[in-house]
Order: sequence, then structure tokens, then C-alpha cells
Amino acid sequence: MIKNTTNQTISSQEVEKEPSRFLHLSQQGLLYLALIVILVIYTIPGLGVLLTSFKTDTEISMEGLWNLPHALRFDNYVNAWTSGDVAIYTRNSFLVTIPATFCSILLGILAGYVFSKLAFKGSEYVFIFVIAGLFFPPQIILIPLFQLFNKIGLYDTIWPMIIVHTAFGLPICTLIMRNYFSAIPIAIREAAIIDGANEAQILTRIMLPVSLPAVAVLATLQFTWIWNDFLYPIIFTRSVQARTIMVGLISLQGQYSVAWGEQGAMAVIASIPTLLVFVFFQRYFIQGLTLGAVKG
Amino acid sequence: MVKQRNMWAIIFLFFPLAIYTVFVIMPLLSSFYYSFTDWNGFNPNFSWVGFDNYLKITTDPTFLNAIKNTSIWMAAAIIVPSGFGLMIALILQRKIWGANFFKSLFYLPICLSLAVIGQVWIWIYHPDLGLLNLTLNFLHLSFLTDAWLSDPNTALFAVIVAWCWQQIGLAMVIFLSGLTSIPQELIEAAEIDGANYWQSLWRVIIPLLSPATVVVIALAIINSLKSFDVVYIMTKGGPFHSSDTLAMMMYNESFQKYYIGYGSAVSVVLFLIAMIVIAFYFRQVRELEHLYD
Repeated sequence: MIKNTTNQTISSQEVEKEPSRFLHLSQQGLLYLALIVILVIYTIPGLGVLLTSFKTDTEISMEGLWNLPHALRFDNYVNAWTSGDVAIYTRNSFLVTIPATFCSILLGILAGYVFSKLAFKGSEYVFIFVIAGLFFPPQIILIPLFQLFNKIGLYDTIWPMIIVHTAFGLPICTLIMRNYFSAIPIAIREAAIIDGANEAQILTRIMLPVSLPAVAVLATLQFTWIWNDFLYPIIFTRSVQARTIMVGLISLQGQYSVAWGEQGAMAVIASIPTLLVFVFFQRYFIQGLTLGAVKG
Repeated sequence: MVKQRNMWAIIFLFFPLAIYTVFVIMPLLSSFYYSFTDWNGFNPNFSWVGFDNYLKITTDPTFLNAIKNTSIWMAAAIIVPSGFGLMIALILQRKIWGANFFKSLFYLPICLSLAVIGQVWIWIYHPDLGLLNLTLNFLHLSFLTDAWLSDPNTALFAVIVAWCWQQIGLAMVIFLSGLTSIPQELIEAAEIDGANYWQSLWRVIIPLLSPATVVVIALAIINSLKSFDVVYIMTKGGPFHSSDTLAMMMYNESFQKYYIGYGSAVSVVLFLIAMIVIAFYFRQVRELEHLYD
């Protein structure tokens, strides 16, 4: 399943000859025109938020949200970071996202290894039991978890988000790790056992080093989903001290006299980490989306 | 040997299964249990009410409205992102200059949070400053302008459009990977037989894409059932419940009004719809697998 990228390069070479057959030059031009029109409309929302984040509030009330800013001003960013609670929200987001990403992948590696290489009688049913979680709408677990975290005193801390993301991320991590491990020849494991290695050594010294692409896929996917999550912090937290940046965004919402520019700056700040992940790890991200498409 | 293997299997599986069971499976079962009670979340003395919550649901206008809105959402989710996604995928699959650059730009919204996306679209729909009304005025179509998010007739559609904007990229990713797996010889064979582009698109490419299409549609349905964040940010389900979805209603009943029993029943309905969709999905997938054997 992971071999998607190689397929892609091969078939894009094959496609090369196709346009000459199907399209004349004028058609090619039309195609570009269509593509660019679609793209402009498509990117407007993103451009809007960028433009706004560089404008002063007077500029916005005088000239509207959608004109070009007069100068590249970073005032909104500085204000949002220093006067608002953006710094706290951002810190919380990292404190939730990094451990939850790490833990869900760790658990997925352990479970995925068992289901691929240490299968026992009935393990396929346990596997289905775990994978079923891919399809659960999160609403079904919210009320009991809210009660539970309230009772054990974790409500309004960052812990519920870490725990729930770890548990709910297990199905996708298990699925992708199992599929990757399954492609590794079983003979490697048997040779290591003859050399006296135990399963923990085989997993950490042999299986894991060759499975780093799968880990990268999961790391990009999990980081993006957990960072962008809005539901769990809304349910499990109440105060600035525990809330993540996505919920922080709406703290500036409300009255009609909105601090547009600052809100824009905050939206950009909130998007930077996932944008960076996307820019640098796009290959893994896209691979993960096709592999874990069921999760979305 | 086998014994040792099983011992390692137990060691490795212990933590994953323990955490999954405690924080996913048990809450799931508890939700089913609560849905048969009249618990309000505080009073320790609550009672078993059987199917009362479910009976109440069938006559609750709020619920019926949420079901209607979720169905509209689902229909839009099936048609709009997959239509645009397929169109863009078909263009970008050709060897054109800068295809990878264009792909990246179209993928980009997937990595943005729906919280951010909702915020941006609020600005687009703003009655005075929003881009949509400004554009309509510019085109001398002022009679079409509207306070999109505070008009009960348009709020739901306005939110759905914002959501679909993000989903296009996702549909496109899946269609592109589906397109690359279509054997080129089949398309060439169709050409040799004299088919033009549209004929080979309808008769060869789209039928062969059906595995990808099934995934895109199943995803669209599941994601539309979960639609909460973008609704919460843009309208909170209003005005007058006009943009309420099942997920939004579940939040209101459980975490605003504290009707835990009733809210649980709504979440169970949501869960069951998702499971039915998934059952169809797997049946479809299995049929398609037979097709290729």
C-alpha cells in the first residue's frame, strides 16, 4: 500500500504522451485558463485572511477587508502575541499535539507489530475491534468522557485532549503500521530469533528502522489532525490556561466591533505549524491521506 | 517458542488495548446506557426510561430539523467536493507545466483547521465588508446581496459551502491516486477504437475509478455526519436552528442544556447512521474486489 509514490512516478511518465493525442494547442490554452480561474477563486479565502492580518483596524473600517494593505505591517501579529493570550494558547496546542502524536504512534507500532508478525488465534477479531474505531463519530464518546474527566479532576486541563487523541488515534496508527510491517519479509524476523534476539529487540532494531516512512506518514497526519482539532478542547476545557489555539480563535469573536486585523493574525499564527508540516512533508501527508482516507 | 510469541503479543497489546477500551469502547457503551435514562448530569438519582428518549426524538421538531439539515449536508457533501475534486484531478493528472505546484495549492486547505476556515468564510459572508456582497454590488447585482449567515434561508448553505471548499482537496487526492492506478493501455485501446476524450472519460475512466469514488462518497458521508466545528464557529446552529446539524444538536442538548439522557440518544442515532453507511461501504468494496478478480 505504501508503494503509491513509485506508482505515481511511473504512471506520470506514461501519461506524458497523452496530451498530444487528446489536445490541440488551443485546447491546452483553455485548460490552463480554466485551471487558473478555478485556482484564483479557490485561493481567495486564504489570501483574504493574509491581507487582513497586515492591515490596521482603521484601514479595514475605511476601505474594507479585501483591499491591499498600504504597508506590510506586523503590528497585528505583535499585538496578538503580546496582549492577547495567543502565546498561552499556542503553548497549550504544542503541549497537547506533541505528546498525543507521539503516544498514538507508539501504541500503533506495538499493536500493528502484533497483528502483522505475532498473530495468534483470533487476533484478526481483535484487529477488527481496534479498526472499527476509525468509523466512530467522536460524539458517541463525549458525554461519558466528560463525566469521567470531571470525576477524576482532569476537566479543564490539557490531559483529556492528550488522552482522547491517543486513544482515538490508535485505530489509524495500528492500521497503517500493520500494513507496513506486513510487507517486511517474515524471514528477517526468523533469522533474528535464531541469532537469539527477542521480540522487543526485533521490533526496535530491525522492524522499526525500516518502517520510518510509515512513521513519518503517521506523524504528519496525527500532528495535523490533533493540532486542528476543535471539538475536544470545546468539550473538555473552559479556561485560557487549558485551551488550545483553535478554540482561542473564537475568543476574539463576538461583538460587532471585532479586532479584524488581530483575528487575522491569530488565524495565520494558528495555521503556521500545520502549513510548515505540509510544506516540508507533503509527500508523506498526501500518502497518509490516501492510505487513511477512511478517517479524513 | 509459540508460548513466548504469545507472551510478547500480550505484552505489546496490553497498553494499546487498555487505553482504547477505557477511553473509546467503554464511553461508547456508556452512551448507549445513558440514552435509556433521564439523567441530567448532576442528580445522582436518575431512572431507566426505556425507549422514551428515542420516542421523544421522533416527534421533536429540533431533531427532525437537524436530520433534514444533516441530509442536505450529506447530499451536498456527496455531489460538490467529489464533482470539483474529480474535475481538477482530471486536469492535473495530465502532464502539464507546473502540475505539482497546482496540486500543492489545491491540497493546501486540507491542512487548515475548520476553525480557521470558518473564520475566513465569516469574513466572506459579512453583510457590509464581506467579499461576496462586495462582488455582487460590483457586478450590479445588489438585489442578490444578503446577510448570508443571519438569514435563516441561507445560513445552512453558506456554512456548507465553506465546508465543501476544504473537502475538495481531499476528494482530489483520492481521485488522483485512483487515476494513476488505471492501466494506460485501456485508455489507449479505447482511442484506437476511435473514442474521443469524452467517450473514453465516461466509458473507461469513470467506471474504472469506481473504487476511488466509493471511498470519496463514504468519506463525504462520514465527514458530513461529524460536521460540528464549522457550524459552531459560523452560526452555532442558528438563526432559529436553521443551520443545526445532528452533531451540533447533540452538543446543545448535552453540554448546553445538560439533557444527558436525551443528548446521548442523539449521539446513538448519529453512531448508528455512521455504522449503516460503513456497512454499505464494505459491501460495496467487496463487490468491487470481485469485479477485479
